[in-house]
Amino acid sequence: MTTQTPTRPESDQAVEKKIARVRELYATGPEVGKTALETLIRELKSGSSRREPATRMSSAGRVGSRQGKVSELLFIVPFAPGGAERLRALLELRNGDFSDTDRVGTVHDMRFVFLDNDTKLLFATAYDGEWDPYIGDFAATIPDGLDVLFSACEGWPGIRNPEVKDWIAKYQIPAVGWYVAHPDLTVRDIQRLKRIGKAAEEFLDKIQ
Amino acid sequence: MLSIKESAGETLSMRAPALETSDIQATVLRPRPKPYCGEYVVLRIGNAEQGREMLRRVLPHIAPADEWWAPSALGWLGIAFTFEGLKALGVPQASLDSFPIEFRQGMAARAAILHDFGANAPANWEYPFGTPDVHVALAIYAKGNQDLQEVLEIARKSHHDLPQIAVVYRMAFGELPEGRNPFGFKDGLHNPHVEGSGPAATTREEPSIKPGEFVMGYPDERGETANVPIPLELRRNGTFVAIRKFYMDVAAFRKYLRAQASSPEEEELLAAKMVGRWRSGAPLVLTPDHDDPSLGGDANRNNNFRYADDKKGLKCPFSAHIRRVNPRDALKDDVVATNLHHFLRRGTNYGSPLPDGVLEDDGAERGGVFLLIGAHLQRQFEFVQSQWVTDGNFISHGTEQDPLIGNNDGEGVFTIPKVPVRRRLQGLPSFVSVRGGEYCFMPGLRALRWIADLKPMMEADDVRSR
Ligand code: HEM
Repeated sequence: MTTQTPTRPESDQAVEKKIARVRELYATGPEVGKTALETLIRELKSGSSRREPATRMSSAGRVGSRQGKVSELLFIVPFAPGGAERLRALLELRNGDFSDTDRVGTVHDMRFVFLDNDTKLLFATAYDGEWDPYIGDFAATIPDGLDVLFSACEGWPGIRNPEVKDWIAKYQIPAVGWYVAHPDLTVRDIQRLKRIGKAAEEFLDKIQ
Repeated sequence: MLSIKESAGETLSMRAPALETSDIQATVLRPRPKPYCGEYVVLRIGNAEQGREMLRRVLPHIAPADEWWAPSALGWLGIAFTFEGLKALGVPQASLDSFPIEFRQGMAARAAILHDFGANAPANWEYPFGTPDVHVALAIYAKGNQDLQEVLEIARKSHHDLPQIAVVYRMAFGELPEGRNPFGFKDGLHNPHVEGSGPAATTREEPSIKPGEFVMGYPDERGETANVPIPLELRRNGTFVAIRKFYMDVAAFRKYLRAQASSPEEEELLAAKMVGRWRSGAPLVLTPDHDDPSLGGDANRNNNFRYADDKKGLKCPFSAHIRRVNPRDALKDDVVATNLHHFLRRGTNYGSPLPDGVLEDDGAERGGVFLLIGAHLQRQFEFVQSQWVTDGNFISHGTEQDPLIGNNDGEGVFTIPKVPVRRRLQGLPSFVSVRGGEYCFMPGLRALRWIADLKPMMEADDVRSR
């Protein structure tokens, strides 16, 4: 999936304006927050936490946000009748085994959270690049993997249905804040580095 | 050349409905003549009725795919329209609104997706590309210059007395010696085989692709038949074309090879590694160590290969141009469905060749114009360009781009798998630049008639129901 994004750093003026606004807002909040804010502003200004532009948030696809090569997707959707029970049983059966997702090669994590007395599903994932261009590929190569999970949700059109993109966008909620330790590494980059690291360790073991 | 394997398949199973080749434009399904010369002409339509009159006059000369190269014909004409062009012709609003979003936006607006930054940015394109002045694109092919002048005359007469039809661009193209592109590679060797379009031109191990991938009105690889744009009369036997005009920096290519290699043989090897074929067209997978011109010129063998025999990329690098843009069986363990990402490629070259051995640029414009044709711009051209050409993640190569046509900025890398250690070329510049591009709709012949016969105040309701 495309993993390059161009982003522009913000001007100092824009940053100063934002600082003034947070100060104003925190002034009306509890004292601990106010003090903590001043420490944070000092740190931000000293540049110790300044990052390369590529690691700042940008947008991913129609709704989500993105840090460098990594994108986030989160949606909250009502369960279909009996859906919560089905999905819970399925996830218990899987018992953490998502090896079929390994094959996708671009998914960092997936989280299934049941909300409001098992009436809604919160699904959250971090993945590389974009999913939009690949939806047709998923439908062709791994249709069951997605349908078996999301058929628990109300109105899931099925992965083969072109309306599935709209369905996801409709329930998706973009993150306002999000931290990624390695926005410059895709799942495949990490796999490659692990391979190289292992080979390097073996080499060092041999020559020591 | 008839492929035995495929023709047997055709008779054994009842497959897709036969293609209406008499209604599909020749440019979609047929290779250009050899040798060839021709011209691209772009028109701007200032008045809908004059536009339709022009269309009515050229219509009899638009070549269908069944009789595209009648011995008596002087040449052949292909015609396509941008979204602005369809508007200018008075196509009803309901039809316009039903076109896919990428076509309505146009190629220039898709620059971020296509990675058209820097020198390739639409702001740096040649006029009129990327502006609302591109309405009609005409492709005119002929066997020789004399014939070409006669066909051009037909095109000229179609609008010479219509003051609101303006020629905004003309560009001549022609074949270089031995059917090579300006970099010196044989081109036009591979295209997917369209099921039902007649026998395949070359023997190959790749499966045929459903016609709906390339022409609307037939089932595609997803088992679907296009239902937009409306009405059926407009979309039937039509398709979309991504036009890309490239400049090829031949001197930069030669200089880079010279700097990286220590012998002429090594230069040739590195060039072949970038393309995936030797200059003759012989594929690296079949002949990894040296060129084999007889293989390169043999249509029964030069596409008859798979990457299963080269899983580590030791013969043909993962990053080589032809392995990226058409991975064949190379990605079969991934979730990607390669059959959804094909298009038909019709290319023509322009400019004079840079003489052999010259390393300094002579300042002349030379390159190629590519017509990338398919029914789904988004999952065909745009997907290949954004996921496979300008990124490397799909082959675990980080942000490495296509060595030949990537938008490299002097800091590009190119990885060549090798035992015991891989070789990595550094500091790749862009060897090609985008000079312009457009998304066009290339209708079938009856659809052209439908557009030509539109009445000035045609009610939108007439099309909505179909
Ligand atoms: C200046 C730009 C380009 C150059 C110099 C170039 C060069 C070549 C050459 C030498 C070949 C091998 C011979 C042949 O089959 O024609 C080839 C094949 C091909 N090219 Fe390009 N190309 C360019 C642009 C593109 C673009 C923009 C695309 C699509 C995004 C593309 C897609 C393909 C495909 C699909 C093949 C066939 C691959 C196969 O043999 O399996 N090319 N190109």
